[in-house]
Amino acid sequence: MQRQPTLLSSCARAATAAEARFRISPPEFALRSSRVIALDERAAELARSLAGRPWRGGRFLEFGELRPAAGELADAVLLGADGTPTLLSAELDGADLAVMLATPGARAEAASAVGDACAARWITSVGLVVGAPGEAQDVVAALRPNAMVLVSLRSSQDVAEILSALRI
Amino acid sequence: MLTTEINDLLTQTGPGTPMGAVFRQYWIPALLAEELSENDCPPVRVKLLSERLIAFRDSDGRYGLMDEFCAHRGVSLWFGRNEESGLRCAYHGWKYDVTGQCIEIPSEPAERESSLCAKIKLQSYPLVKIGEVLWTYLGDPADTPPLPEWEFARVPADQTFTSKRWQECNWLQALEGGIDSSHVSWLHSGGLRTDPLFRGAQGNKYNLADRKVFFEVAESDGGLLIGARRNAEEGHYYWRITPWVMPAFTMIPPRGDHPVHGHFWIPIDDENCWTYSYDYHPVRPLSEAELTAMRDGHGVHNEYVPGTFRPLQNKDNDYLMDRAAQRRGDTYSGIKGIAMQDASLQESMGPIVDRAKERLVSTDSGIIMARRKLWRAAEALRDEGIKPPGIDPEHHRVRSVAVVLPKAAPFADSCREALMVRPGQRHASV
Repeated sequence: MQRQPTLLSSCARAATAAEARFRISPPEFALRSSRVIALDERAAELARSLAGRPWRGGRFLEFGELRPAAGELADAVLLGADGTPTLLSAELDGADLAVMLATPGARAEAASAVGDACAARWITSVGLVVGAPGEAQDVVAALRPNAMVLVSLRSSQDVAEILSALRI
Repeated sequence: MLTTEINDLLTQTGPGTPMGAVFRQYWIPALLAEELSENDCPPVRVKLLSERLIAFRDSDGRYGLMDEFCAHRGVSLWFGRNEESGLRCAYHGWKYDVTGQCIEIPSEPAERESSLCAKIKLQSYPLVKIGEVLWTYLGDPADTPPLPEWEFARVPADQTFTSKRWQECNWLQALEGGIDSSHVSWLHSGGLRTDPLFRGAQGNKYNLADRKVFFEVAESDGGLLIGARRNAEEGHYYWRITPWVMPAFTMIPPRGDHPVHGHFWIPIDDENCWTYSYDYHPVRPLSEAELTAMRDGHGVHNEYVPGTFRPLQNKDNDYLMDRAAQRRGDTYSGIKGIAMQDASLQESMGPIVDRAKERLVSTDSGIIMARRKLWRAAEALRDEGIKPPGIDPEHHRVRSVAVVLPKAAPFADSCREALMVRPGQRHASV
């Protein structure tokens, strides 16, 4: 095989701690537009407790009720952290990421409505399910077809960290 | 992203650090057994968790792991003579047994020698052979946990093969590669078609046919289960489930009847780690062809700079980058071999990557969760003395899984038995 004329020690130099100091600081990319949608009452309590923290523009909402489908997709009424109603379709227009927050008892049709709305808009959908493994089976099954990434948590204490890592 | 403080907490494992304390709760791989292949063989320098140690096997076959340096003048005992049931310093002849106890000081009067020896004992740690690995425990002797029960180390010798390589970066960025299922369809796409330890499995077809992977992460008693699903036949998903057991064990989902493989990521110091790579089959001996492929560096193994554990492809030669192979699509990154495809990119991040600058996305949820569990475990141990998960041998009895399930089936529950070691039974794999 003909060897490419790589510079010997290129990687050896480039990957040192000394060279790491010269890495360009990345610019603060445009903020991701995120929505955190609680699918049930316990999840809504959790969302309300988190909403007051300093986030990067993410909005915390609670699933209210389904609206009859005007077209192929059902819409839904969501409630803002202050109780103000808004529409799922309006919230997702322009969003990059939707996180569904759910606990055992969350309604499958709520997950389906959010998942379908995300899929129609090519929005990344994430499901965070909080609950003991034996209790959360049904809600995990409900979210599975509707979330590109599904995370099951045994307690709610990690939810804030996950949202923070995703720069919500 | 992580703050600099949390990044430091997770990446620093020396004595007195919170994450170092976590690692010091477990039996961890210290050497391959072949490195101390016979009684009175040459001693081996071992650096683990930022502690410089010397390992040796005495005349009676006992293994020792202790402070590398003689208590007398600080000379390295690597130069010593391993003879007559002890390691003798080459400088003035002081001799130590496998517990680090000084047993001879030839320069002292015979009448005083034993009393002086009794006062000199090097820091030492247990060293136990299980399978083809020598394991050590660097924690409080009064709190020594039960010996490890990893299946790859417990099956008969002809069913298992373990290699190790020096990786020139912090342990955490190496581990994170092991639980990042989303890179496989890209970085390792060439290997699915060509690697003798991967090719031919039914599951590869699902892998290559459906690159739109959905991920599911669930907590387990010992760490995490990370599921990746792709479409299979009508109404079914192909699931690949990777267990991560805290702090540093991962097992890659199998392919067909190929051996199962995985890794341990063990800190040498904060800027280097040992990657232990194992391959085993739960119910049959490895074939000669499989062993040859492993020794030749296929699968999760690698080729070496002769006489060392440094990969043949390394920083100093740009990992033998082959741009022509990259253009042809033989390899995605131009680097040969799955192990070095991973290592080259992880080392390129620098010795300790600055996680305050990263931009994680939802498919990084496994990494996010693993960091969170490590961080929480380090704080709980430091602040409340709570032992971390993964110590209990029950947590070691895990298997990875590659199965086709009906779409409605929950992966963790449907595979509950298959995710546990079942002695004498084949692993669940397609």
